[in-house]
Amino acid sequence: MVEKISVIDNILREGQKIADDVEVFFAKASGVGVELKGSQIGEASGSDSCGIGIRVIKDGKIGCSSTNDPLKWKMCLDSAVSGAKLATPQEWGGLPLPSEIEKRDLHTFDTSLKVDISVTTEMINKLKTGASEYEADIVGGSASVSSGGIILANSNGVFYSNEKTRAGVSLETICGTSTGYEFDNSCFQDEIDPVNVGREAAYLAVHSKDGDEIDTGKYDVILSPVAVCQLLGSVVFPSFSGKSVKAKRSFLADKLGECCMDESLSIYDDPFNGMGAALRDSEGVPTRKIDFVKEGVVNEFSYDLKTAYRYGEQSTGSAVRAGSGGAPVIGTHNIYVDGKRENIYDEKAVYAHTVVGAHTANGITGDFSVELSNASWMQDGERGRPIRSAMLSGNIFEMLKDIQGMSPESRKLGSIIVPAMRFGSLSVVGK
Amino acid sequence: MEEPAFYDIRHVSGSSTHIEIDNSIVESASVSFVDTATLRVLGRKGWGVAIIENYSMKSQKEIDEYISTAMRYASVTEEEVSLGDAKSGILPVPAMKENPQDVSLEEKCELLLNIEKAAKIKGIVNSRANYTEGLGTVFYTDSSGNEYKYDMCRSGYSVSAVAKENDIMQAGRESEHTILGLNMRHKENKGLEAAERAIKLLSASPAKGGIMDAVLDQELAGVFAHEAVGHASEGDLVKEGVSVLRGKIGEKIGGDIVSVVDDPTLHEFGFMPVDAEGVLPKRTDIIKNGVLNSFIHDRQTLAVVGDGDAGHSRGEAGAVPLVRMSNTFIENGDSSYDEIIAECRSGILLKGSRGGQVDPGRGVFQFNAEYGYLIENGELAGMVRDVSLTGDILKTLHNIVLCAGDRVMNPGYCGKGGQSVPVTDGSPHILLKSAVVGGQG
Repeated sequence: MVEKISVIDNILREGQKIADDVEVFFAKASGVGVELKGSQIGEASGSDSCGIGIRVIKDGKIGCSSTNDPLKWKMCLDSAVSGAKLATPQEWGGLPLPSEIEKRDLHTFDTSLKVDISVTTEMINKLKTGASEYEADIVGGSASVSSGGIILANSNGVFYSNEKTRAGVSLETICGTSTGYEFDNSCFQDEIDPVNVGREAAYLAVHSKDGDEIDTGKYDVILSPVAVCQLLGSVVFPSFSGKSVKAKRSFLADKLGECCMDESLSIYDDPFNGMGAALRDSEGVPTRKIDFVKEGVVNEFSYDLKTAYRYGEQSTGSAVRAGSGGAPVIGTHNIYVDGKRENIYDEKAVYAHTVVGAHTANGITGDFSVELSNASWMQDGERGRPIRSAMLSGNIFEMLKDIQGMSPESRKLGSIIVPAMRFGSLSVVGK
Repeated sequence: MEEPAFYDIRHVSGSSTHIEIDNSIVESASVSFVDTATLRVLGRKGWGVAIIENYSMKSQKEIDEYISTAMRYASVTEEEVSLGDAKSGILPVPAMKENPQDVSLEEKCELLLNIEKAAKIKGIVNSRANYTEGLGTVFYTDSSGNEYKYDMCRSGYSVSAVAKENDIMQAGRESEHTILGLNMRHKENKGLEAAERAIKLLSASPAKGGIMDAVLDQELAGVFAHEAVGHASEGDLVKEGVSVLRGKIGEKIGGDIVSVVDDPTLHEFGFMPVDAEGVLPKRTDIIKNGVLNSFIHDRQTLAVVGDGDAGHSRGEAGAVPLVRMSNTFIENGDSSYDEIIAECRSGILLKGSRGGQVDPGRGVFQFNAEYGYLIENGELAGMVRDVSLTGDILKTLHNIVLCAGDRVMNPGYCGKGGQSVPVTDGSPHILLKSAVVGGQG
């Protein structure tokens, strides 16, 4: 680590000679994983990765570059400086200062987790044990563990580090031509339940076999947490980005302060609770809770420094490293969907476990049309007869205006934490 | 230390350039550097893999240590692996018309800005453009003594525009990617096309879902070839029992008119001079006149499944290669576009693609057109938006009744196992009977 810190110091020192502001983002991770090919482990792998992202700002012009070779830091710095020369200048109020931030345990590092291949083979055995409860064939799966950390340092003296561990499993099954897939991941190994993941993956394939046809028409539909995550994740969450809002390509652009969703609905980003937890965002701004939607009202949007300075807003601590060359862009830490919780499973409805093709939704308008997977009827709290194939069409923003209810429990899907949701009278096309 | 039965190393080093323009603001113009290798060893049973960063800097001693680490990983594997015989070799990389490396980042910014500005017509509230360029040297070596090295540059741009009128917003998008050199000169028309489509879509009605006859344009039919046929023919899926095409070689699975090919040797965006395990790429005829003819394979799936060709192994830099498509297309038929529209009589013409997805084990696919036109009395009628198509692979192939002779190839990227690789999909216009069309009108 000492060697890494000296590279960071070198970049900051050299960078300040040519730019107003300099920032270094350093990330490292080591991980191991195994892959099932059919029901047997076919591949076991390991990696040690590192990356350096450099950002310089000179006269309001921002340049970035990245490399996975710390020895190439000078070339990378030069490249960031050249890039800055071409960028359109903008209002710039400086990188963050090393202000005091409240110390909290982010609960993202499992000290007992061992990054060892034997840990993953044990998880595979548990997946198989769970899957053996049903007559489905295992066609694939994976187990992995990793440990890594980031350092964010800038020329104003911010030096922030954050370490995380991660354990994850997934299993794919088939029964005839009926398929099942389940997964789980967490920062803590004992928070995932591979036996249950295996059992559910096998159950889905077996239960969805020999499904009935469904007549084209309007139905009440329950979307499982996974399906909610797929549909909201591809359209709704991105529309909270202040960048999309200011650029007028977000559906919510002119709806700030408006009650345009169901009055029971709240959507927020909690940066202190979940796998995406961080005290500072990836450009060093202290994070805070962001209430995107509060009881149906569009309450606020998310900003990084660049967008905030440009449009006279405040950064919400929402920068993540996902841009080209590792540049910071607006993202989310841990996104929660909440609202009126009740039993949504009693009255008859179509239940969709996952959807196929959520990414083809119209990201601006919210119109979508997807195929349902592992769909079944649901009544009196029980999953009933499976539905062979059904296409669900709708507009996600329209749907959010009238939510019939949300399940009492939420599910953690990585850094997205959502309940199942019930909607009335959606359009379903049968075969 | 136990010696590996086989090992190979695929090393990728190079740079990637990105330019991002949003509402005529140059948001970023960056060049980044990558140097990474994938080392695979075959132990007594399966594969052990080590991903090695900064491979260029590693000594032979360090590489030997990576080999023993990978062997230790391999010791936990259970699947018996044998590798099928396939001809090793490399194809020449086609010459570029204008090497993007010879053009300054500044000039690339200007060219992209010209395309983006062309989209700023009345009614457009936001326009964006992106340029990406990946320049890399790939070096492959294996324990059988094969060694290949090539340089390739993939580049291209996309432009999108958002139109708004009252409360309605619609987007149009155009993109072009190539291995044949810089392609951004005199392309202002593409920005304009994206903008004009966005504006036209404002007055299009939402499509009405149901079962109807559909004409697919070249781009959407290409996505169909890729999603519905290509994925299900991938040897790893067939081997693991997650493809509805498993066990169907020699069977008639589609209409006589249907022939589907994956050809990595074509100088399209999915071209590769040598695959990720040193095999000489070759054209594979997946479906020939409606009969399932071949699967696409890597050496391992060729050995297990047979009936097809190796040479289809591909991987991102620093990732384990998988069986992947390259340039996938439906062959031309002998009908004309006009005949197809007339023959459809009453139905829908689906144009452009917003992407698609398939569950090859279940045999179900879904994809979305950018827009479409109703077909009434054998002629085009009103424009519709947000229209999608789903279906059952095996049923749908029998429902392709006409193919035109106007095949067009469209470059893009395909995702599988968390990796994205450049591909091209292509097709002529096709007529699909009893298609399941989705829409909420």
